[in-house]
Amino acid sequence: MRQWLRSLALATRDYFHEWQISVCFVLALAAVLGPMMVLFGLKFGIVGSMIDELREDPAKREIRPVGSGRYDRQWIERLAARPDVAFVIPKVRNIAATLEVQSDRAARILTLEVIPTAPGDPLLPPGVDAPQGLGEVVLSASAARKLQVAAGDGLDGSLERRFRGKRERVHLPLTVVGVAAPQAFGRDGLFASLALTEALEDFRDGRAVPALDWPGDPPQGERHYTGFRLYARSIYDVAHLEEGFERAGIEVRTRAGEIATVQRMDRTLSAIYWAIAVIGLAGFSLSLGASLWANVDRKRKELSVLRLVGFRTGDIIWFPLLQSLYTAVLGWALAVGIYLLAARGINLMLAPQLDRAQEVCRLLPEHYLIALGLTLAASVVAALLAGIRAARVEPSEGLREL
Amino acid sequence: MSDAGAQQPIYDLEDVVKTRVAGDYSFSLRVPNLRIHPGEKIALIGESGCGKSTLLDMLAFVLQPDKAERFAFQPDDKAEDIARHWRRGRRNRLAALRKRHLGYVMQTGGLLPYLSVRENIELPRRLLGLPRDDTVSELAEELGLTRHLHKLPADLSTGERQRVAIGRALAHRPAIVIADEPTASVDPFAAEKIMALFMEMVEQRAITVIVASHAWRHIKQLGLRRLAHHSRRSKDGLATETVVSG
Repeated sequence: MRQWLRSLALATRDYFHEWQISVCFVLALAAVLGPMMVLFGLKFGIVGSMIDELREDPAKREIRPVGSGRYDRQWIERLAARPDVAFVIPKVRNIAATLEVQSDRAARILTLEVIPTAPGDPLLPPGVDAPQGLGEVVLSASAARKLQVAAGDGLDGSLERRFRGKRERVHLPLTVVGVAAPQAFGRDGLFASLALTEALEDFRDGRAVPALDWPGDPPQGERHYTGFRLYARSIYDVAHLEEGFERAGIEVRTRAGEIATVQRMDRTLSAIYWAIAVIGLAGFSLSLGASLWANVDRKRKELSVLRLVGFRTGDIIWFPLLQSLYTAVLGWALAVGIYLLAARGINLMLAPQLDRAQEVCRLLPEHYLIALGLTLAASVVAALLAGIRAARVEPSEGLREL
Repeated sequence: MSDAGAQQPIYDLEDVVKTRVAGDYSFSLRVPNLRIHPGEKIALIGESGCGKSTLLDMLAFVLQPDKAERFAFQPDDKAEDIARHWRRGRRNRLAALRKRHLGYVMQTGGLLPYLSVRENIELPRRLLGLPRDDTVSELAEELGLTRHLHKLPADLSTGERQRVAIGRALAHRPAIVIADEPTASVDPFAAEKIMALFMEMVEQRAITVIVASHAWRHIKQLGLRRLAHHSRRSKDGLATETVVSG
């Protein structure tokens, strides 16, 4: 067997022989590392779930123009091509975008807002294709409830205009292809293709809609829209997009303020956390270093004996190094145990206040590994200092003590 | 010992000096001339503080002399220039020589507390990669330790621990065994028995032995050669010089 291997074997024997002292080292480490992990778990869990909430809720990514403007199709298409825009679709005049809808099951006739939609719309429920053509619609949850319909059912839509002095009403058959989630759209609404919203506007403006056999004046030249629905790719793109619109003279409304608050909070909490972590880690390294250092003093005689029987300088360094690695790994494992218990307690205690499967205290697997890595690094540094000292112990130094 | 004179000495020292300073006091050991031949049994007798340990440490290559005109060590055919190894800082070379050729019995045993008696005795053999044979069991038998082989040193009496230390010093069949007050911590009656056993064992194995002791009384009848030494103190009483030769 190689001498350093024998040195490792002896260091292992020594470490477990003096288990009381080893337990103290491990406890001292876990006492610093455990609370640090709980602290980070809290920071990560609280800020993380706030950011998740922001990220998951499309409303937070929405950018709405205030008032009405005049936008052509090319302008909207240029906007859609931007990488920081996830979804954009033009809107016709609000006043034109309504439809009266009746179902066989409910007596009421509902007047629904018609919202233009297309594939990729974050408000559409996952797994439901965007409504196509002039006959398919997705209902908002409240509308579906009031009309007592579900996906697959048929509806009768109708609208009225005054044209050349006469009141005219047209009907169009609709098929429900899906129902949006309640949090996606809170009012009574109907998602339809852009073409359908354009048809509603054309009819109300007294123009013909040949696809639906609705009579009227010939179609207009180039169409202009009064607004748009836009969702940024992520919450982090909102502020930048908002700036661009303001520069172009378009006043928009966003949740940028709310997002900035969370981001600021994340930064503040991170800074606080890191300050505590750095101080804690420095304290831990110092205490581990000091105890290993003192340990070398305490073991001077035994180390002298090892040198006397012929261990070389290099082999002696392994002694404190291995012992501190044991402390690091065991201390880390204990800290993980402390963390898991504390996190479970905190999460259980706060469970009633939380919606869904939110966790207040939570760590990702890589966080455990980072904690282990930092601990190992700190103990290796401490142990190397102690090890160099151990290697310098003159064999004659400790022989006559005790 | 007429034939011993014809052989190459195992230690050959000439004008070796070591000075230790503690506060205002200085203590120096001077060895104008010292030759130890293979198989010799050497005793170094004197009060504590007279420099015995300093000399033993230098002979065990664990203490660097301040000055050495000549410090040769020849355990076998090849002579080693210890003074040169020290000058060149070849500590690992010195460690290798200790490992191979030296056994050391410390005043207080110096056993590793986390190893059993058997493992303590075996340690030098395993360091050298020697085969696991009956050596340890035989040593234990001779030393009366057979029933303690599995115990830890903490479970033994002082006398038993010293016997384990003797076993460890002999286990790898070294050329030289150095013992620093091996029985100082044991009661006089047991001390005499342990010393007699120790001498018998090194004699059987034809091992050169160097023993330091403060009591000549029970060394005398064991047939050891006593090294001459005398100490003198400077007029101000701050410096002590001990001269050893033989």
